[in-house]
Amino acid sequence: MNRRDLIKQIALLTGAAVIGSEGFLSGCKTGAKSEAGFTAENIALLNEVGETIIPATHTPGARAAQVGEFMKRFVTDCYTQKEQNAFIKGIDDLNAACKKMYNKSFMEADAIQRHDLLVSLEKEAKPFNQQIEDKEKDLRAAAKKAAKEFDGTPKHYYTMMKQMTLMGFFTSKTGATETLRHIQVPGKYDGALPYKKGDRAWAESL
Amino acid sequence: MPENNTYDAIVVGSGISGGWAAKELTEKGLKVLLLERGKKIEHVKDYKNTTKEVWDFPDRNSVTQQMKVDYPVLKRDYALKESTIDANWSPWASDKDNPYTETKRFDWFRGYILGGRSLLWGRQSYRFNKWDFEANAKEGIGTDWPVRYDEIAPWYSYAEKFAGIQGSKQGLEVLPDGEYLPAMEMNIVEKDIAEKMKEHYKGKRHMFIGRSANITEPKPEQNRVNCQYRNRCWYGCPFGATFSSNSATLPVAFNTGNLTLETNKIVTKLIYDKDKKKATAVEALDAETNKTYTYNAKIIFLCASTFNSTWILMNSATDTWPGGLGSSSGELGHNVMDHHFRLGAGGKVSGYEDKYIYGRRPTGIYIPRFRNIYDDKRDYLRGFGYQGGANRGRGLEVAEFTIGADLKAALSEPSDDWSINITAFGEMLPYHDNKITLSKTRKDKWGLPVLDFDVEIKENELKMRKDMMADAEEMLTIAGVKNVKAYDSGYAPGMGIHEMGTARMGRDPKSSVLNGHNQVWDAPNVFVTDGSFMASASCVNPSLTYMAFTARAADFAVKELKKGNI
Repeated sequence: MNRRDLIKQIALLTGAAVIGSEGFLSGCKTGAKSEAGFTAENIALLNEVGETIIPATHTPGARAAQVGEFMKRFVTDCYTQKEQNAFIKGIDDLNAACKKMYNKSFMEADAIQRHDLLVSLEKEAKPFNQQIEDKEKDLRAAAKKAAKEFDGTPKHYYTMMKQMTLMGFFTSKTGATETLRHIQVPGKYDGALPYKKGDRAWAESL
Repeated sequence: MPENNTYDAIVVGSGISGGWAAKELTEKGLKVLLLERGKKIEHVKDYKNTTKEVWDFPDRNSVTQQMKVDYPVLKRDYALKESTIDANWSPWASDKDNPYTETKRFDWFRGYILGGRSLLWGRQSYRFNKWDFEANAKEGIGTDWPVRYDEIAPWYSYAEKFAGIQGSKQGLEVLPDGEYLPAMEMNIVEKDIAEKMKEHYKGKRHMFIGRSANITEPKPEQNRVNCQYRNRCWYGCPFGATFSSNSATLPVAFNTGNLTLETNKIVTKLIYDKDKKKATAVEALDAETNKTYTYNAKIIFLCASTFNSTWILMNSATDTWPGGLGSSSGELGHNVMDHHFRLGAGGKVSGYEDKYIYGRRPTGIYIPRFRNIYDDKRDYLRGFGYQGGANRGRGLEVAEFTIGADLKAALSEPSDDWSINITAFGEMLPYHDNKITLSKTRKDKWGLPVLDFDVEIKENELKMRKDMMADAEEMLTIAGVKNVKAYDSGYAPGMGIHEMGTARMGRDPKSSVLNGHNQVWDAPNVFVTDGSFMASASCVNPSLTYMAFTARAADFAVKELKKGNI
């Protein structure tokens, strides 16, 4: 598998094109760059969101892979200004949703509560994204046809968090080498390597 | 540096063609100056991203918003990513410093660095077949190739043996066999699909490992180690397993003691002497200091890349040749070609759950052309081949809304199904009105006129594209692939990065820019041996053909020089 497969898989798992990786079609002309809005607390919270999606098991999880730091970097470098704003606001929205459900902030909630909250956000994000998709379908297609950039309505903040958790984790050193397998210099090729159920998958190549 | 900046030969450009020209001319004893517009890099030492992993890149090898602003052309396709544009490794040319205009969209992906795109190519190495050289004449398209397969075949062998091409002999007229190192292996799914295709089409369609310039046996005489299956060719191969100017031709040229290299030198024009009917010198601009240099030579090889060699000729206009050197036929700048592609089919393959893959193979499979040969006749001319491969992806299927340990476990295993994808590469005919011209208004930061592009695919290509997609779908379906989906991701000229034409060779100075030895009719001591010379495009990757023609032209040039003819 290569990077393109990884992006495709994340899109499939989150039901939306990977934000910040749409290449030609997305992106504003100004090259948005602002780290404003990311606090140490935000990063700690994003690590916990990540850990809820990809927890430590017999191998380290998203927290150990520092997906919070990765999200800060990726949002800053690759998201459009609109998407950045939606993401930052999403952190508050997430806490508000948690308060509503458990009368606690996300950091105060326990592992089961966090899990259930995120599952409820999964269910909320799906129709939310679909609605945007339906509404902007024609505009998006027209932009594509004209080879123009399309800066549409940002997707649900949870979709952003899940996408970056998956990308950040499986491209991290721990994700690629402990949960998955990676060999720097394979030295040979075997196109019929015996495989038994449970053997780890190879990490995507660069 | 010799006195008066005078050399036996000047080679402009250090990519695949320029590297070969420098090697051949220096080996034959000529004192050669190699001019490269990009910066110098040292083989191995400067391949700074070649051992990095994805986690070493802060955005994990993505495209940042800033990169999209800085690379408005490169961002149009896969070429743009963090690992090939960062401060350590940036072989692609800067779009900002090197603008061009588009009467019609043209994606021009350039490599301005020592070694050029020999560091960035896909390494697929195929011979044109005998029909490729005959088709223009038979069909009344463009101009007849002044060369036939039998004449270039020994030069193909010569190029293959030195470069090191892995591949298998197939005994097919449509894709002639060459001199190969042991072939890389198809994986188990590819082998089975190849077998099923062969059976169904009764030996009329074939699928085998893509022939590529990755060595599978060491070449100690060139200090090159065999491929280690990292699939990191684009970052510079520290083993020298990938053929590039940097790994192969330039070291040989330097070892002769006859090569002088000047980097950061943008060749702006050739100085033409109308009494001698020859070009006597090359004028170049230092990209950093803006200082102008003049270098004299008996022969000049233009290998600056398709379009840039033609740009130099166009920018060398004189009273004698107001349209540029080599413009007397009216064909200079015309007949732009590329390979049109980005369509094919893909699907899933079940039944191989107990097999996986070890190693990252730097080539895929190849399905040679089967349309419009023998008794096959279509409503368009020429044909197409396929490249692709099978793979086993990652991740088991999970129920909707699954997160946590179950999701992690499912994503840690390979998927049950394998996947296969094939992409068609089609021949584009040479059309006179597909052209490049010097812009009358726009100049780059050095004050040089930029190129304007006016290129499109036409009816023949559009008809062919229907087959390119439908045939892919049919072949995979017949081979038992599930959920076969045909696709057309859309193509803009240039995306193939196989740009060809604009200084075509021919038999008649009235209809071609070059003769059959790559000599400019109007200035016989000037040779153009990059993709500019191509009279037609075939559907196979063109670099090997540039190598063969460059070596042949260099041999001819030195003989002519010794005879006193040029």
